Amino acid sequence: MTENKTNISINNTEGDPERGVTSIFQNFFVEISSLTVFILRFFKEAIKPPYEINEILKQSFLVGYKSLPLVGITGFIIGLVLTIQSRPTLAKFGAESWLPAMVAVSIIREIGPAITALIFAGKVGSGIGAELASMNVTEQINAMQVSGTNPFKFLVVTRVLSATLMLPILVILSDAIGLLGSFFAINLKGSVSASLFFSQIFQGTEFNDLIPATIKTFFFGFAIGIIGCYKGYYSNKGTEGVGKAANSAVVIASLMVFIIDMIAVQITSLFQS
Amino acid sequence: MIKDENMIASPIVVEMKHLSKSFENNTVLVDINLVIHKGENIVILGKSGTGKSVLIKCIVGLLDPDGGTLALFGQDINELKEKELFELRKRIGFLFQSSALYDSMTVRENLEFPLRRQLHKLPKEELSQMINEALINVGLKEAIDKSPSELSGGMCKRLGLARTLILKPEIMLYDEPTTGLDPITSKEISHLILEVQKKYNTTSIIITHDIKCASLTADRIILLKDGICAAEGSYKELENSPNEWVHSFFE
Repeated sequence: MTENKTNISINNTEGDPERGVTSIFQNFFVEISSLTVFILRFFKEAIKPPYEINEILKQSFLVGYKSLPLVGITGFIIGLVLTIQSRPTLAKFGAESWLPAMVAVSIIREIGPAITALIFAGKVGSGIGAELASMNVTEQINAMQVSGTNPFKFLVVTRVLSATLMLPILVILSDAIGLLGSFFAINLKGSVSASLFFSQIFQGTEFNDLIPATIKTFFFGFAIGIIGCYKGYYSNKGTEGVGKAANSAVVIASLMVFIIDMIAVQITSLFQS
Repeated sequence: MIKDENMIASPIVVEMKHLSKSFENNTVLVDINLVIHKGENIVILGKSGTGKSVLIKCIVGLLDPDGGTLALFGQDINELKEKELFELRKRIGFLFQSSALYDSMTVRENLEFPLRRQLHKLPKEELSQMINEALINVGLKEAIDKSPSELSGGMCKRLGLARTLILKPEIMLYDEPTTGLDPITSKEISHLILEVQKKYNTTSIIITHDIKCASLTADRIILLKDGICAAEGSYKELENSPNEWVHSFFE
């Protein structure tokens, strides 16, 4: 009836290293099982009508559109820096003409999705964690529940779906802006026309570079959204808990981005071989 | 014991039998037995940590009791499915100690939220009318476009009350409605509670430490001690109680 996080009390193990290690493992598995229950509940609530379309659109605007300037600036700088840093090495081998294609592959396959996801985790993941935690502390979630609204559906499902849908769009935009940054950097020393630059990019890249990279960003977005919501929804310890929720949402979501990335690379290489 | 004897004839809206609740090793409610009739104003008094807030959170289903039964409008809430519980909650209002206003929304949106959730296809004009009426009732008409952070503590309490009352609940639960307010605003809130009860014939359960609020609003007072109902009666009965512990609350 009520919404309680899986709660197993861990005894104080101070001064007993063996029990200390045991309790760390216990805590870890309790947290994993609790997160699994949370994820399963997300799918159950997401499928079940009514659907909170207006709130999903509102959250998509907040997490997507409002993250665009930060993601855009980061993408531009990454494109610019990557080009400037790579140029001397390629010039040594007389392969400077490969610069646009090499930068494009790097940005589209890995750097664009990973950097954008990390920026997104920092901005959106922490924002969701802090927002839900402060709603928890000030009893706003309880208020929603007693007014006959399902807070999980209204707060969690909408935010996770928005994060999952918005991150791939942001990554594609960030990639495009990153390539513009690269074009700008190439033209800092010498002159390359836009048509030549982009034709070299299209020659050097394939759909196989874009599709897996885009698919994995859905998983990045989902992980960032669900961890932010999980940490915020079950935060405790008053105002201290708000900071902790925001902090752990960013740390765990960033770690998850790398873990998912590693798995995605393995799966992609399996298909490509 | 009940101020208006006719009240006994009115239907029972809340009934608790041997209700208990613990948190790990801390037993908060031991054996609560309580019957509340329609239209009654019940005040629950007790020292901090005696489980007053836990009791009303059990009533609204925010906490699960460990033992005993709790029936609202004749329905045992432990046996209700999630959907049925959400439906039942539509008949209950809860004024939180912190007011629990949605701070990302304006005053208008705070009032709009429960209306849009419950009465889906309400025309815009009717919605505006209901919001204006609710704000006039609590004297906050001018604050309609402000955000909760711009309101004083008393205004937040009144807005919280307006938001809860806008759906005309049959049972109102007040968790320390006058805590942190000056005596004048506390008196205003107490009078508002009485007005609500008279206007809508609402059943009210009020958790408070404020004896003045209790004297103004209570038909019946329950004193909680060590997880049980230690004393019960009208304000005057308990004020004149020979029991030293009971009497100490009213000094």
